[in-house]
Amino acid sequence: MEKGSKEKLKIGIYELTGCAGDALLILDCEKELIDMFKAADIQSFLMAKSDNIDGELDVALVEGSVSTEREKEELLDIRKRAKTVVAIGICACFGGIQAAFLDKKDWEKNFKKVYGDKKMTHTKPLQSKPIDAYIKVDYYLPGCPIGKEQFLSTFNRILRGHPPELYRFSVCVECKWNENDCLLNKGIPCLGPITRAGCGSICINHNLPCVGCWGPVEEANLTSEFHLLREKGFDYDFIKKKMANFSGTGMADFLGELKGEKK
Amino acid sequence: MRIIKLKKDNLFPFLEVISEEADLWAPVKKGDKHVFKVVDDFSQIEMNSTRTILPPRKIFLPPTFDMFSVSEEGYKEDFSHITKKILFGIHPCDIHGLLILDNFYKQAYLDPYYLEARKNTLILGLSCWPDEYCFAKSTNTHIIEEGFDLFFTYLKDFFLVWIGSSQGDDLVRLKPELFDEKLTDKDIQTYLNWQAERDKAYKWDLNFTAMPDLMELKYGDPLWEKLGDTCLACGSCTNVCPTCGCYNIMDKQFLGGKDGKIMRHWDACTLEEYSEVAGGENFRKKRSDRLKLWYTHKLQAFISKYGKPSCVGCGRCIVACPVDINVRTVGKALLGEEEDAFWIRLNKEVTK
Amino acid sequence: MNSQNKQLTGVNPFVPQPARIVRTYYLTEDVKFFQVRIVDMEKALSFEYLPGQFAMISVLGAGEAPFCLSSTPSRPGLLEFCIRKAGAVTSALFRMKENDLIGLRGPYGNGFPIERMHNKDILIIVGGLGVAPLRSVLLYCLDNRDQFRRVFLLHGAKRPAEMIFREEFLALKEREDLECHLTVDDDDTGTWTEKIGVVTTLFPLLEEIDPANTFGLVCGPPVMYKFVIKELVNLNIPKDQILMTLERRMKCGVGKCGHCAIDYIYTCLDGPVFTYWDVIHMRELI
Repeated sequence: MEKGSKEKLKIGIYELTGCAGDALLILDCEKELIDMFKAADIQSFLMAKSDNIDGELDVALVEGSVSTEREKEELLDIRKRAKTVVAIGICACFGGIQAAFLDKKDWEKNFKKVYGDKKMTHTKPLQSKPIDAYIKVDYYLPGCPIGKEQFLSTFNRILRGHPPELYRFSVCVECKWNENDCLLNKGIPCLGPITRAGCGSICINHNLPCVGCWGPVEEANLTSEFHLLREKGFDYDFIKKKMANFSGTGMADFLGELKGEKK
Repeated sequence: MRIIKLKKDNLFPFLEVISEEADLWAPVKKGDKHVFKVVDDFSQIEMNSTRTILPPRKIFLPPTFDMFSVSEEGYKEDFSHITKKILFGIHPCDIHGLLILDNFYKQAYLDPYYLEARKNTLILGLSCWPDEYCFAKSTNTHIIEEGFDLFFTYLKDFFLVWIGSSQGDDLVRLKPELFDEKLTDKDIQTYLNWQAERDKAYKWDLNFTAMPDLMELKYGDPLWEKLGDTCLACGSCTNVCPTCGCYNIMDKQFLGGKDGKIMRHWDACTLEEYSEVAGGENFRKKRSDRLKLWYTHKLQAFISKYGKPSCVGCGRCIVACPVDINVRTVGKALLGEEEDAFWIRLNKEVTK
Repeated sequence: MNSQNKQLTGVNPFVPQPARIVRTYYLTEDVKFFQVRIVDMEKALSFEYLPGQFAMISVLGAGEAPFCLSSTPSRPGLLEFCIRKAGAVTSALFRMKENDLIGLRGPYGNGFPIERMHNKDILIIVGGLGVAPLRSVLLYCLDNRDQFRRVFLLHGAKRPAEMIFREEFLALKEREDLECHLTVDDDDTGTWTEKIGVVTTLFPLLEEIDPANTFGLVCGPPVMYKFVIKELVNLNIPKDQILMTLERRMKCGVGKCGHCAIDYIYTCLDGPVFTYWDVIHMRELI
């Protein structure tokens, strides 16, 4: 091995419940992949290699939400072993689609609808939640999937000991940079103003409204967006469902209030 | 200033000749809006366009570009985004916008990225006709006397062409036979009639003289909280404004020993992170405080400093803001005139 | 474009100078001292600055941030900074060692109006990290002692361990041409021999102030300003002789990026030193 390899950061990439799209995106960084494996000591990356070690880690990148007891234990174990935990992708950061049922009763009802009375033998199912429901998360790298550029920049910064530098504003900013005509102003239900940027406003570039798949921006003005969509003629349930679709847990307080279930 | 005449049919041949050694940027259609784009096919040029979605400053300082490439050896300036350009079809208000930016980027320290791009771009202005959002007459930016190399006033079947610089004159001399040096009395009368009609076409105005005082007197007005409650902090008003220039820096390092980049991207004072310092203290945590800063800059600060507002009346913020927070509704509210706007309706809705 | 690139090199105000960390050590638990020298000798010597001015320091890959100069121009060659760990740039700086290279550009900002302060009494009131710019002006006054009349230093910290430059200031107490009063809010060591209480409790120790000929210089945490300024106004020090240096977000230091804007001024050009009068008529200052 080359000199200095001892100093390489030990990294683990893990997947919980999700589509594995984030892990796939990392693999898809074809041009950079060799440099990545050279720059870091990647100890565990199920999608990429078979000789995975579950030891002490400098950084764990965790994709997916927690939806079983076993995943919860795995996550707690990762936290114990890793100095820094980075949530990657919408599911790890905000729960994703599988966490759209915010209310426990709604979730139970839906679970029953899907699985009936089938007994779960290998592990106990849990209402799906983002990983920070169980552990402390050091950094969040949202996306559905995460963006290549933001991932490489974050990976690089973490290797050098710097915190990630992400866009903290909404999709609207990138959308304007791409000189798109505002869909909201045309009466199309776009979640751009409440969704965090980094995707390059890719949907709006193709004339499709933002569905909020990167999760809510820190300062999302949900009240204003909600009433704006109401005024554009969309009904209460439609807007609520749309907002909760990808990142319900990220705006649970607001959506709870709407339902009259103040926490 | 010398004024000559160009037959309508001679415009494309002229553009053809002058764009041989530079990219020709002009307004073209995007959906039902317009954008500045490099054009090869001149028939795409929208001669009667209104405002473009983004102001022409995007041509000088793109939303994102690399300032430096960085290696162990140091910083290497990156001017690769700067090429020779001709900007055709820019309206008087937008030329005023550039003049304001010129002032800004030249004060105290020179910004080489802006000034180099400016030096490499010829400005060919074009007259326009106001729509329901324009209010350039209120800001006195519907008339332009400087800041262009050529300016074309479009009069049905010919253009009157103002030659504003020696580079502009050079362009004309590339194909002087396309132009007509002599103006007839009729031409002059046509122009005067057009101007009178155009001035009458502005559908609303705003008393800018009153704005600096009103900004001061109403600094603590509940109006700002109402605006702050509704503002989506989406940065659209700032991004589309021809006189906004704030930016942020990102340090991009690559794996495998490749050179890093120092990237510069547009920022907006209406965004949450704008005034936040390391450690998390934010001097303008509230959206209302950020809006106050933006409107202080547009309606007050420049007037105190340069005697004119930094708003040029282009109407872009009016078109862009999804919740109707714009120079028009805010200006009118400061004057005590109630306008219909989403933020007013929302406030009634929520307090109800 | 090549010819233009050449022409621009050297005038691009955004290009940092390589600088070497000569010395670095902890002043308190989360504040470190940095002594830096610009590598290019000629540029190091031509770096002329005023107390109160700042420089932009960059660490490759981490970013760039503004820092007040803590050294005095009366001791040229080495530049000094005291820096609290707060964000990406400072965390990276904290990991750096002596001899490491950083980027530096400046000096920027207005600095203290030294000429106006000549032949006046100088009353310096420091809280916490506010010492960064005020140490510069204090050392400047002491190095040019005959240019100023009385010089006072009131310095407050939370606890003895948190008093930045504690030893340096304790040593200054020996000087007869400086009236130096140090205080801590709370002495958890039981060995503190100076005053106990917030910095404003030191004001009664000031004797025979000549307010019309006194400049009050304040820098500290935001909460401190309100109380200290009240004391200074009570002493009848004119509002335009009460000076303070303010912190703002800055990305360029040269009045272009906009972040430090307050009304129509830019902290990086027209500040960071402001008078109390500025503060009254520009509502966003503090």
